[in-house]
Amino acid sequence: MKKYTLKNGIETIIKRNNNTPRSAVVMYAKTNKDEEKAGLYYLITQLLFQGTKNKTAEELATFLDENAIDINVEKKADYIRFKIQCLNEDINLALEIFEDIIENSTFDDYKKEIVKIKGELTADLDSAKIQAQDNYYRTIFKNHPYGTGRKEILEQIDSIEKNDILTAWDEIKYCSQKNISVVSDIETTTIENLLEKHFAGLKAKNTVSQRKEVSTLNENVVSVLEKEDANQAQIFQGWQFPSIFSQDYPAIILLNTILGSSGLSSRLFLELREKQGLAYTVRSVYEPYTLCGNFFVYIATEPKNIKTSINGFDIEIKKIMTEIISEQELEDAKNNAIGKRQFYQETNLLEASLKGYYEFLGLGYSFEEKLIESIKQITKEQIIETAQKYFSKSSALCVLAPKKYLEEANLIC
Amino acid sequence: MKNIKKTQVSYPFLEKPVEIYERENGHKIVFAYKKGGLINISSWVKTGSINENNENNGISHFLEHLMFKGTSNHKAGEFDKILESRGAIVNAATWKDYTFYYVTIPKGSDSRNFYDTLNLHADMMLGPIIPPHEIGEPFDINNPEIKTKRERHVVIEEIRMRKDQPWTKVYNNLNKNMYTSHPYRRDVIGNEQIISTVTREEILEYYKTHYTPNNITTIIVGELNPEEILHKVCNEFDFKGRENYQNPKHEIDEPTKEIKFVEDYSKINTGFLMFGYLGPQACDIKTSTTIEMLCLILGQGQSSRLYQELIEKSEDPIINVVSSDYYHFKDGGNIFVDANFKPEFKNDAIELIKKQITRICEDGITEQELKKAKKKLKAGFAENSETVSDIAENIGFYMTVCNKLEYVEEYINVIDTISQEDIKQVAQKYISPNHATISVLMPESYKN
Repeated sequence: MKKYTLKNGIETIIKRNNNTPRSAVVMYAKTNKDEEKAGLYYLITQLLFQGTKNKTAEELATFLDENAIDINVEKKADYIRFKIQCLNEDINLALEIFEDIIENSTFDDYKKEIVKIKGELTADLDSAKIQAQDNYYRTIFKNHPYGTGRKEILEQIDSIEKNDILTAWDEIKYCSQKNISVVSDIETTTIENLLEKHFAGLKAKNTVSQRKEVSTLNENVVSVLEKEDANQAQIFQGWQFPSIFSQDYPAIILLNTILGSSGLSSRLFLELREKQGLAYTVRSVYEPYTLCGNFFVYIATEPKNIKTSINGFDIEIKKIMTEIISEQELEDAKNNAIGKRQFYQETNLLEASLKGYYEFLGLGYSFEEKLIESIKQITKEQIIETAQKYFSKSSALCVLAPKKYLEEANLIC
Repeated sequence: MKNIKKTQVSYPFLEKPVEIYERENGHKIVFAYKKGGLINISSWVKTGSINENNENNGISHFLEHLMFKGTSNHKAGEFDKILESRGAIVNAATWKDYTFYYVTIPKGSDSRNFYDTLNLHADMMLGPIIPPHEIGEPFDINNPEIKTKRERHVVIEEIRMRKDQPWTKVYNNLNKNMYTSHPYRRDVIGNEQIISTVTREEILEYYKTHYTPNNITTIIVGELNPEEILHKVCNEFDFKGRENYQNPKHEIDEPTKEIKFVEDYSKINTGFLMFGYLGPQACDIKTSTTIEMLCLILGQGQSSRLYQELIEKSEDPIINVVSSDYYHFKDGGNIFVDANFKPEFKNDAIELIKKQITRICEDGITEQELKKAKKKLKAGFAENSETVSDIAENIGFYMTVCNKLEYVEEYINVIDTISQEDIKQVAQKYISPNHATISVLMPESYKN
């Protein structure tokens, strides 16, 4: 792994993996400002493929497909991530077209793109799970962009004007913190030269973040959605957790492993699925962002099981807050969590994404090794303390089900 | 080793040839060398919904769940616990032609993880006991007073989950109408009535019939030396003289000679539709690959015809999402065109898709489109060679569905031989706009 700073100040990390046919280039760009109109950043990620000064949208799509170049631009909670993958022999072409997209996108067809996005989001919302999940984020992060879902985008996207897009894009290009990571089977110096050539138009400047703080959830909140034809109730219960920068981060990883992220042997899986037969899907999820984190438990179950399932969550959460776990369970969780981390770097793209992300956050690309060491040091007392510290806070409970079953579960009167 | 037939196949993008060992009893063992810290062990069984009937539909998938419920050596849950506590991903999947079980695990500093995984995996594959209390008592699906809920209920929840997925609904309606008699017409997961009542004896009998040496291929992918481990794999997979079973041959259905239209309704806001066509047998590699290229040109990616013509070039598109895809099956694949659309324009959406199908059948494709499809397929193969689990899945598919891994060796060469004319011919043969099965899912407000 080599660190290299481009002449424009953007920091890069470059790694050579022998005998890998495809190269991966990943760029993170921080979003320093919250969207004033929901959907603005997402719209930009889509408009980057809608034509440049040199190529129409069709020509751009054809060029990418003809050369089997995958460029993926994703709007995440705190940043925009650009992912480029191609066969090694096409790396120059891939970065050339990426440069054209970054430097010359016209954003002219934004009105048409808005129509397309509205169609796609409306189609997404025909899924009960997506509806319920959107409602959960909206509830746990009320009035914060972390809670922006498809519904908010559908409500606000029509108000976006070209000037909003150009201003936000300039901010990303010239004023946001960025870093680039490359993993491929190509000489490091060749990669350095290519990055100098194709990323010269960007700036590394990092303006002060103007993002709204996340409001603390001060009381337990219940939010329901009625869907009369739902065959399953969708139940999310979540808590505001700390970010990746927290010293509790390694303990939270283990807490999540023990509770429900670990496949077929987690507590929620064994208790609610294997012993009680309540669900096919039951799990816990921890998502660390930069301003805070989000920890939720999820189950999809026959609507008449709503109460039993919520009680089941309650029992497992209370248990992990009050009963110290065994040495064996802790050891198993550590080995599980540490072992699984190898999967996060199995391909060039995954490795570039993970190492680049750590660099981007200022944690350093070798943070993974430090994290593993920290996980190894966690004690069973730290697990219970971490569980008490965060699960004792208010939670958001969001349920989608037919009205009759929401009433039966006393979630609506 | 004696009585083992060894062959080698050159696998694109892998450093060494893949080694295939066929034992006297018909059990096949495949080794693929892939550098890195992860290894994948899987066993593929030649059974899925293809071997089911109206009375036991869903039994292959239910058995897949129950295979994790312990052996005489390990009680239920031990397998998952031991392996996951070493960082493994453990799972299984059932489809029309096959069922497979896999473990992907960090190799670790010595070979302990490999040998322990192999031991547990073979034990699970050969010695499931399927305890009655893990299946749960048979019950009346309409009786709400069920107290003890076990694996039957887990599968029934999986069925419920799929009922809430619009794409699954529209696909299932399409699938059962594309066929007249072939078992592929059934949904792999089955239905609640069968899952709630199928007996343990029926499940065990199904296991004994289909999980035979000649029907199982065990695949090992990772940084391992076959010479060092072959003996161990053979020892662990001791079938103890288990009798072989030859899967029955099924009559292949004729494609529809007309438009077969099915419509269903749901509480949704947009419309979903799928065009479906029957394709060639999976072992017809040239035709199957030509159809893959046809689908790629027609509806994969933003440069595809369907995306460009129906969404990108439309001022006010009535189609929200559109794509085409090809599923390979032993007795004949399926070609799909699927779209999500504004429901008030249902007939227009169908006509727009028909128009694009007609165009490709009549006018064929351009040289540029051919070049693109070739490049994309080759790059796609490279992508599928990046992880031990993807390599194992690809090998499992060829060994189980096509019965021959040598096809993988030919794949890249076959791509190079395909011409514009070949694509036009397969389009004309397989995807006529007037001989399609069309399944539509509409909002309930459009019912009358």
